[in-house]
Amino acid sequence: MKLSDIGVRVEGGGPPGGLGGGAVAILHEVLAMLERLLRTGEEAAIDLRSLPMAPGELDALAAALGQGEVDAVFDGGGRSRVRETAVHGVWWVEHRDPDDEIIASFIEITTVPAILITDPADIRRGIDGLRRRLAQDAAGREERGGQANG
Amino acid sequence: MDPLLSFARGPMLQIAIAVFCFGVLWRLLAVFLLRHRRSRSPARHGRLRALIEGALVAGTRSWPHKVFIRRTGYGEALGYGYHLGLFIVILLFAPHIVFFKGIIGVGWPALPSSLINIIAVLTLALLLAVLVRRVSKPVLRMLSNFDDYFSWLLVTATVVTGLMATAHLGGPYHQLLAWHILSVDALLIWFPFGKLMHAFYIFPSRVINGYTLARKGGAS
Amino acid sequence: MAEPDETQTVGEVLAAQGISRRSFLKFCAATASMLAMPPLMGRAMAKQLASMRRPSVIYLSFQECTGCLESLTRSFSPTLETLIFNVISLDYDDTLMAAAGEAAEKAKDEAMRKNRGRYLLIVDGAVPMGNGGVYHTAAGRSAEQILREAAKGAAAVVSVGTCAAFGGLPLADPNPTGAVPVSRLVTDKPVVNVSGCPPIPAVITGTLVHYYTQGKLPDLDGHGRPLVFYGNSIHDRCYRRPFYDKGQFAKTFDDEGARNGWCLWELGCKGPVTYNACATLKWNDGTSFPIESGHPCLGCSEPGFWDGGSFYSPLATGKWGRAGEMRPKEVAAIAGPAAGVGALVGAGAAAWARGRRRHSEQDSGGEED
Repeated sequence: MKLSDIGVRVEGGGPPGGLGGGAVAILHEVLAMLERLLRTGEEAAIDLRSLPMAPGELDALAAALGQGEVDAVFDGGGRSRVRETAVHGVWWVEHRDPDDEIIASFIEITTVPAILITDPADIRRGIDGLRRRLAQDAAGREERGGQANG
Repeated sequence: MDPLLSFARGPMLQIAIAVFCFGVLWRLLAVFLLRHRRSRSPARHGRLRALIEGALVAGTRSWPHKVFIRRTGYGEALGYGYHLGLFIVILLFAPHIVFFKGIIGVGWPALPSSLINIIAVLTLALLLAVLVRRVSKPVLRMLSNFDDYFSWLLVTATVVTGLMATAHLGGPYHQLLAWHILSVDALLIWFPFGKLMHAFYIFPSRVINGYTLARKGGAS
Repeated sequence: MAEPDETQTVGEVLAAQGISRRSFLKFCAATASMLAMPPLMGRAMAKQLASMRRPSVIYLSFQECTGCLESLTRSFSPTLETLIFNVISLDYDDTLMAAAGEAAEKAKDEAMRKNRGRYLLIVDGAVPMGNGGVYHTAAGRSAEQILREAAKGAAAVVSVGTCAAFGGLPLADPNPTGAVPVSRLVTDKPVVNVSGCPPIPAVITGTLVHYYTQGKLPDLDGHGRPLVFYGNSIHDRCYRRPFYDKGQFAKTFDDEGARNGWCLWELGCKGPVTYNACATLKWNDGTSFPIESGHPCLGCSEPGFWDGGSFYSPLATGKWGRAGEMRPKEVAAIAGPAAGVGALVGAGAAAWARGRRRHSEQDSGGEED
């Protein structure tokens, strides 16, 4: 095993020059939101598209928050990526359209972003689908059993 | 297109330019075609030499004589200052050059817009200083009439609205631009009927005076 | 078009189309972001929309080129905009619907009756009033009659495109058909103008979504356009602004400046006086917008932009004559005669002054030179 094969996870540290003012302000806001989440369970989010950021500041922010344990991808009208940052409870949600252009970008302060939770309506569809599948399977086995016998 | 802006740069501008051309030609010819009193003394110099000397006088008389500098130097400097500023801003700002290109068919290189902005602000400061001087010096105040103040107002309004438009300060841009163009329209209409006509009179006037005096041998 | 089962909710329709609630939540989150709503609004939006009956929408087209509808429905890949057609029940659209003739008209009357007071009326195209409105007739009735009748039972009216919002091309000089904007005829219902030639699809979608989730039209500017999309001018958000500020302008379409992406002011850009979301939302799923592609902004979301002077005449120049271009010839045509008249008056004044002098003085007259 080579040294480079050992996985290394870097805790969020800023770029060498330090963070820009905008990124620092957002991080302070995130801190306040996290404290509120712990205290009252209240969720919060920041729309990254609504903030005027200097070029590179967004990357500095992402680097500051770092990458956590969870990295989820879902495909619905384009790829969306949901990952927990190195700061637990702080999630980075990025939605893209079928042309891979970013259409929305959020920082969510929550136990789990709503987009990962399965909606009961979708569960009901899942139930219907699975039931149908099992019924078809049973019918198929019966037919095959019947054929085998006679 | 905002109706006020459309009006300002459309029909109003056409009217303004028409009135300007009409007025300037009228006043120029009404003055230059007047009779001159015949000079009774014999001519000291030939016409050509008199013309050249007269033209030189137009230059040498453009700054006060040493004796008067203490009294009039400040006012003269202010005047030259804002005239220079106005020329630079009007003739060397890219959007203005585009405007003139529409009139005469050719353009010319522009100065960087940031430099123009600085000069425009300085020009505005000088214009304000000039007004202060006019109202604070008693004799000057007594001599001042509507023409003096109104001409000053139109020029200053044009500079102010121009600065506001460039800085996008004080309202939606189309409104700022409309007011700037309306100021220019007003200035063009007033131009031939007030003291602003000095722009056309001043050099011919000095040259003619110089020529007349030179013929008599009195110019220097 | 109208689903056979009109009691289905939006959520049920989505399910039938194979679109998961998760995907719908993504659509709502992106739309909420675009509408500058609070970030968590997407969830409330998704919940509200999914549980409501598909709202009825009547789409009327008058003097238009169909560009606005094309903008909304044509896409290179399924986009968020087409999702809106899963939310609404488009009960009448003479371009999209399969039915035609009397059957289509009956469907419209039926939908208007069933949803009276609740349906949204979307209109594109201007309404011609000249000669009794004869320039646009369908099923024997004029556009004005059709519009007035449809507006009576509508909850609100959305004028899509500059033609419906401000009269657009039909209203441009000389306006031979007597075209008027929709807002001129509909004065007793809330009207929102989603202008543009065509409007950006996401702007249309966003306005509709806002209406359905908030229950009212978004905040409007002085021209009745949603402030969230039309609050800034193109110039305010243009990425070429640094070049404008420095005074670096392209002079022709293929010179060094144009190649370097300099400001297009001198080529006639109307960005400073045009309010729209082109510079931020852009076109074709954020691909580009006219200025980014090297062409000056036409000002297509503003009233009277067709009569605002040549598209290639800079804002700094005047707007002369029908063509709207200020050129030496055009200027001379006015300045010349004016100067001529002035010269005559001046000469006359001088002659008069001379005549007076001659009478009052003794000398033999004649002048120096």
